[in-house]
Amino acid sequence: MNIISGIDITSGALAAQRMRLDIVAQNIANAQTTRTSAGGPYQRQIVSFETEMVKRSGGQMLQSVHVSGVTADRTPGQQVYNPQHPDAGPDGLVTMPNVNLAYEMVDLITASRAYEANLSVVKNAKNMAMKTLEIGK
Amino acid sequence: MSSIGSIPSTLPGLPASQLQGLLPQLKVGANPADALHLSQPSNPEGFGKMLDGLVSMVDAKQAQASDLTRKVLLGDTDQLHQSVIAMQEASTAFSLMVEVRNKLVESYQELMRMQV
Repeated sequence: MNIISGIDITSGALAAQRMRLDIVAQNIANAQTTRTSAGGPYQRQIVSFETEMVKRSGGQMLQSVHVSGVTADRTPGQQVYNPQHPDAGPDGLVTMPNVNLAYEMVDLITASRAYEANLSVVKNAKNMAMKTLEIGK
Repeated sequence: MSSIGSIPSTLPGLPASQLQGLLPQLKVGANPADALHLSQPSNPEGFGKMLDGLVSMVDAKQAQASDLTRKVLLGDTDQLHQSVIAMQEASTAFSLMVEVRNKLVESYQELMRMQV
């Protein structure tokens, strides 16, 4: 049972947005990685969310969110002519990761703002609980 | 209960026969108290149990918060928000407990101030 209502819903959302931030961090960190354990250049990862039912004791079912999966972006990466590169093909072209830094920055800002929005919900819920305790003062 | 409240103002002027007629009303007025078990404490530890439950709930929440915080500090989990949320939850539960305690003390003092 929660004293601060809705905080279990928001907790799931916060975890999901954190996961998104982590994936953005991974994409930016691997923006130049041309060799991965799976072979080939790094592929940009995309996070998708799905709803998750949260059952409260004596309450109705509410929908929280969790990460349903992390999938790879299949767009082909840029070909760069660099014959000295160890991963260059016979024609001297290196396939770079399909990470676009501008996209990643936008994703970063979106995830960060979404996280902040959920934090505001927590703050508001806590304020409401504290105000409720002031009934009759 | 309203019948009891109205009796003292009308009582001095009443003949004995009308007073007899009022007696059943008095009993009716007393019956709800019996129904609520106010006069006979059949469950003496009920209130103590409720308080005990409240305190142990607050204690459990604080234990959970400190457990989560310890996990984050030890690096077992990176769910920082869960730790902070649990701390807020524990803090709110503690405030609720303090509110209940304040209300109890207030009622006790109100009783002590009562004119006998």
